[in-house]
Amino acid sequence: MPRSLADQLRSWPEARVARLLEGRPDLASPAPQDSAQLASRAGTRASIGRVLDRLTVLELSTLEAVVASGPTSSLEQVQALVYADPAVVASTVERLQDVALVWGTPDELRVLGPVPDLLGSQSLLGLGVEALLSSYGPARIASLVTAVGVQPTGDRASDMRTIAVRLSVPAVVERLVGSLDPKARAILDHLERTGADGTIGAAGEPTDQLLGSGLLIAKTTDRVAVPREVAVSLRGGHLTREPVDVPPALATSGRDPRLVDRTAGHAAFEFVRHTELLLETWGTNPPPGLRQGGLAVRELRTAAQLLHVEDRAAALIIEIAAAAGLLGMGATDVFDQAWLPTDAFDLWNTASTSQRWVTLATAWRDNPRLTGLIGGRLNGKPVNALAPELERPGLREARRTALQLVADLPPGEVLAATTGLPSLLALNSWHRPRQPKNRSDAVMWAVEEAAAIGVTALGGVSTHGRALLGDDPEAVVAVLEPLLPTAVEQVMVQADLTAVAPGPLSQELGRDLAVVADVESRGGATTYRFTEQSVRRAFDSGWSTAEIHGFLASASSTPIPQALEYLVNDVARRFGNVRVGMAECFLRSDDEAVLTTLVHDQRAASLRLRRIAPTVVVSDVPLDVLLPRLRELGVSPVVEAADGTVRVVRRDEYRARTPRSAGVVSNEARDAARTTARVTATVRAIRSGDRAAEVDTSRLAPVSPASLLGSLREATESGRTVWIGYVDNHGATTERVVDPLRVDAGRLWALDHRTDEQRSFALHRITGVRLL
Amino acid sequence: MNDGPLIVQSDKTLLLEVDHELASECRKAIAPFAELERSPEHIHTYRLTPLGLWNARAAGHDAEQVVDTLLLYSRYAVPHSLLVDVAETMARYGRLRLDKDPVHGLVLSSTERGVFEEVVRSKRVAGMLGERIDDTSVAVHGSERGNLKQALLKLGWPAEDFAGYVDGEAHAIALDETGWNLRAYQKEAAESFWHGGSGVVVLPCGAGKTIVGAAAMSLAQATTLILVTNTVSARQWKAELLKRTTLTEDEIGEYSGAKKEVRAVTIATYQVLTLRRKGAYPHLDLLDAKDWGLIVYDEVHLLPAPIFRMTANLQARRRIGLTATLVREDGREGDVFSLIGPKRYDAPWKDIESQGWIAPADCVEVRVTLPEGERLAYATADPDERYRLAACTFAKTTIAEKLVEQHRGEPTLVIGQYLDQLDELGEHLGAPVIKGSTTVKEREELFEAFRTGDIDLLVVSKVANFSVDLPSAAVAIQVSGSFGSRQEEAQRLGRLLRPKEIGADGTQKPARFYAIVSRDTVDADFAQNRQRFLAEQGYAYRIVDAADI
Repeated sequence: MPRSLADQLRSWPEARVARLLEGRPDLASPAPQDSAQLASRAGTRASIGRVLDRLTVLELSTLEAVVASGPTSSLEQVQALVYADPAVVASTVERLQDVALVWGTPDELRVLGPVPDLLGSQSLLGLGVEALLSSYGPARIASLVTAVGVQPTGDRASDMRTIAVRLSVPAVVERLVGSLDPKARAILDHLERTGADGTIGAAGEPTDQLLGSGLLIAKTTDRVAVPREVAVSLRGGHLTREPVDVPPALATSGRDPRLVDRTAGHAAFEFVRHTELLLETWGTNPPPGLRQGGLAVRELRTAAQLLHVEDRAAALIIEIAAAAGLLGMGATDVFDQAWLPTDAFDLWNTASTSQRWVTLATAWRDNPRLTGLIGGRLNGKPVNALAPELERPGLREARRTALQLVADLPPGEVLAATTGLPSLLALNSWHRPRQPKNRSDAVMWAVEEAAAIGVTALGGVSTHGRALLGDDPEAVVAVLEPLLPTAVEQVMVQADLTAVAPGPLSQELGRDLAVVADVESRGGATTYRFTEQSVRRAFDSGWSTAEIHGFLASASSTPIPQALEYLVNDVARRFGNVRVGMAECFLRSDDEAVLTTLVHDQRAASLRLRRIAPTVVVSDVPLDVLLPRLRELGVSPVVEAADGTVRVVRRDEYRARTPRSAGVVSNEARDAARTTARVTATVRAIRSGDRAAEVDTSRLAPVSPASLLGSLREATESGRTVWIGYVDNHGATTERVVDPLRVDAGRLWALDHRTDEQRSFALHRITGVRLL
Repeated sequence: MNDGPLIVQSDKTLLLEVDHELASECRKAIAPFAELERSPEHIHTYRLTPLGLWNARAAGHDAEQVVDTLLLYSRYAVPHSLLVDVAETMARYGRLRLDKDPVHGLVLSSTERGVFEEVVRSKRVAGMLGERIDDTSVAVHGSERGNLKQALLKLGWPAEDFAGYVDGEAHAIALDETGWNLRAYQKEAAESFWHGGSGVVVLPCGAGKTIVGAAAMSLAQATTLILVTNTVSARQWKAELLKRTTLTEDEIGEYSGAKKEVRAVTIATYQVLTLRRKGAYPHLDLLDAKDWGLIVYDEVHLLPAPIFRMTANLQARRRIGLTATLVREDGREGDVFSLIGPKRYDAPWKDIESQGWIAPADCVEVRVTLPEGERLAYATADPDERYRLAACTFAKTTIAEKLVEQHRGEPTLVIGQYLDQLDELGEHLGAPVIKGSTTVKEREELFEAFRTGDIDLLVVSKVANFSVDLPSAAVAIQVSGSFGSRQEEAQRLGRLLRPKEIGADGTQKPARFYAIVSRDTVDADFAQNRQRFLAEQGYAYRIVDAADI
């Protein structure tokens, strides 16, 4: 019999130790020196926490059972407590031993020290009677013993033991519960179901009933809990009300696997095409990167509009392109930081569609970023695409596990349309009950994204999706290639000026058509609309009328409708009617002969004259160069102003601006002036203070507000200087000599002699006034 | 599996390739839930809308059927998100229901508390609901039934209406099919209306919408109120009903500016109903004058706004709307659907044409160039005046004359917007002019003379845009119109679409529709918008230069 975990580990065969290290990889690095070290590592809280998070409901419940019947428990005890097939429980105990959470022999099972503590609040286990009763006094214990139908012995420990034993008997609990009124019953049920502590508000009759019978035990004066023994009895002798060895079933429906493959293949094709289209657009017209990283919401929206998809779908495309290394931050002429396709994109673009998909889908599968958050808010701030803070540990594992659950469905079965996802989430939380709450979100988003990328379709994992999960890129390509739609080489042009490509267009045709027509709708087919603007765009990019007609004729499988021909011709007729260019100067003359002579004059070659109409010649030489040169050539030009009037040329006369400080003042003089001013100010202040001091305040009788106001008014009217006592902002009394100007709104406006400035005084703070 | 006629786009449009062998089968399959948006020559566009999907639910189709249909006919895989969306949208229907209750009158209830609370607390329905009955039901003011249904649609939780319709006062009406037969599509249209309870039937001009109305009446077997656009059309309805049904002269009343008869079947004009005197509508009582079992709205696309409001109060009565062109430049198509009822039947024009029920038409856009002087006047004119200047150019009169000459002997209509232009045309062509100021009597006489062939040329203003039955008209020359109105263009073409005699080669001689347009002016821009509806119905305009006429 092992004395400790280390002891047991020492006795294990190598294969079993290997299994432990596989189940808990964190124990293996760095390699432990010996079993003692391995055992002590396995017992650390961090490591146990990690392995607990990976247990299923069944394993957790079994572990709880070992804890509940501890400190040492036998396999039979555990099997009795766990609501599951005993054989399953036995093998589960074995598995728990494999990961070294439980050790010992079947007769004496023990858990590692920190386990009960770590199971803590997330389990429905609760505390045992004896632990809870520790705060009770002898009198309360005695009355509880009586309540459970036994004579108290007076020995605290044995009485507590008795209560625990009695409450473990379902019949006793049943009797106690039977005597409760419905309200108390409801409280008990609620606490038992949630496993939480209850709080007692104002002492109420129902809680008193429960406390009196021991069905609830007070932890403190205001908190109560259902003791473990009672909870187990209420659950029919098990730790849970429901069996734990049956994982919730997935809600499925039948679907032809070929249809799933085809739909997924189509989505895969779309995803690759969207990525290609977006990155090509960004190559010529990149969006700026935000200072804190990420992509502005406006740019995301523009991208979504370009692709004719929703914002979320566009965000996924952008994120996956970045994850696959096809999109990165770089500098352009306009922006210091812009999102640009990388050079890997060019390489990627030459590969076949299925190979390109493998790159994208693999990047998605291994992407540690929780892209589903984009567009929502995190800690009160909106989350941008490509923002740096989206990485989440455990996300990859969650995504893979969830998809594997779907992939493991028998062929021909898929998740049901509406109930499938909730059932997947339920199954997921059976497998990982202790995982953080956002794991459900992660699984939900993974399912959504998988459909968008084409790993799944119609609720089932496609054949190429399975190959992707199985890490077999060659198989993916082999399966996916035949599923992809083949490119069409021709479109149908209709009289309402639309063209429909009944399938994906070859790259070249698609690019050309996008020049002449606007895309109206994308999908399996693409709808284009010809408008005046779109046709003009073609002319702008250098196409000729004949080229456009030729292109349309070759691209269309149907005759070109006359309306379209007219549209092209109409635009052609107007295109270039007005010509715009740049020139520095123009020369015009009603005498065409003069201009002809000038243009053909060898000496005028340097003026780069160009005739744009019989009476107009332009030049890109500036006027001040042109003008003297023309005079040399014997022409007498007149200069026109911008408004067409003749400008008379007159020689400019230059003058400098007069400096601001007229007359030279020596520095000494200036300094002296400053000193004088400063001294004056100081002196004035001193004097003012002196005058104030002259007033013998002690002789001043306290003034009433009315007389104070009267004196001030008098001084204002007569223009006399007064002394005032004033309480400043800091509560100190100061004395001022002021010339009152006016009194209004509870304030005195006056010229203060000390600072020689006008300021106001609050009347209520003036303590006294005396005319000087 | 990879060669179906349908392409399902992720933006919820469905593209149907017309020349595909499964095309017509597919059209039938998707018609219950998808709305036809455009039907040009090669590819027809349908759209999946929440309204369409809910109508399909109401008609007993479920999401599974819709999804299966899409999967069956789709050439490419159907986008997964679209399938999810279809299922979700259709699942929203019927969570709420409207019932008749002996105690509370009308009751809105739901099986789902969450949905119910969301709806009841919404601002949109405030004021329409009465007191709460219990957690999941609430009384509804009887008069708000229509408004409430409309508001619920906008909230995305359409109510299933179990409150039913009043039967109205019974009145025997039967079709009298001597010498003619109800066409298959007419029967289908009337029946799908009847099964749906209320709704709009869209059929091309000349395809016999009046008869669909009559068929609906024969199904309702009750007193009927028929609302039409004008007196001439009221008389035509009366004549048609006398001819096609067992109704007799004294059973049909006319309620118009001239006469005020209320009989078992009453034909009233929109005008008289919306007549306003001292802020009140004196003739509105007509709506309650009898216990109508059916209300027919002719040319429902013209439904004036006051009638919209009145109709909201008539939700307990069966309503049928008839139109050829449910496009409104004011974008209020949605109101028509929610107040009269959803679209119950829609047939592409070209389909009816290929069955021979309407005449084929040859649409020609004749482009004239403004003479130099007018061109300058145009260039310097106020923007408000430009269309008038471009539309009324004398060049058009000249061309119209030439065209009339070419078709001498064929019954021809010259249609325009501006009265001085029409007068000028009348003078040049030596033809009578019918405009707003022409009396009803005079109009009827002229139309009758045109029908019998006594005169073969008429110059008409917009009064003849619709509801005027001129079966013999074979050529129309449009010189101007009300700006870019799509439905006007279609209605004008519609004047020509009554089936024509079968020629020696076994086909009908196509009708000619000329639209004369001034090149490089706003006239041309408006013309393009005007033609859009017809182009989407598959009518390809041929463009001809004035010089080539």
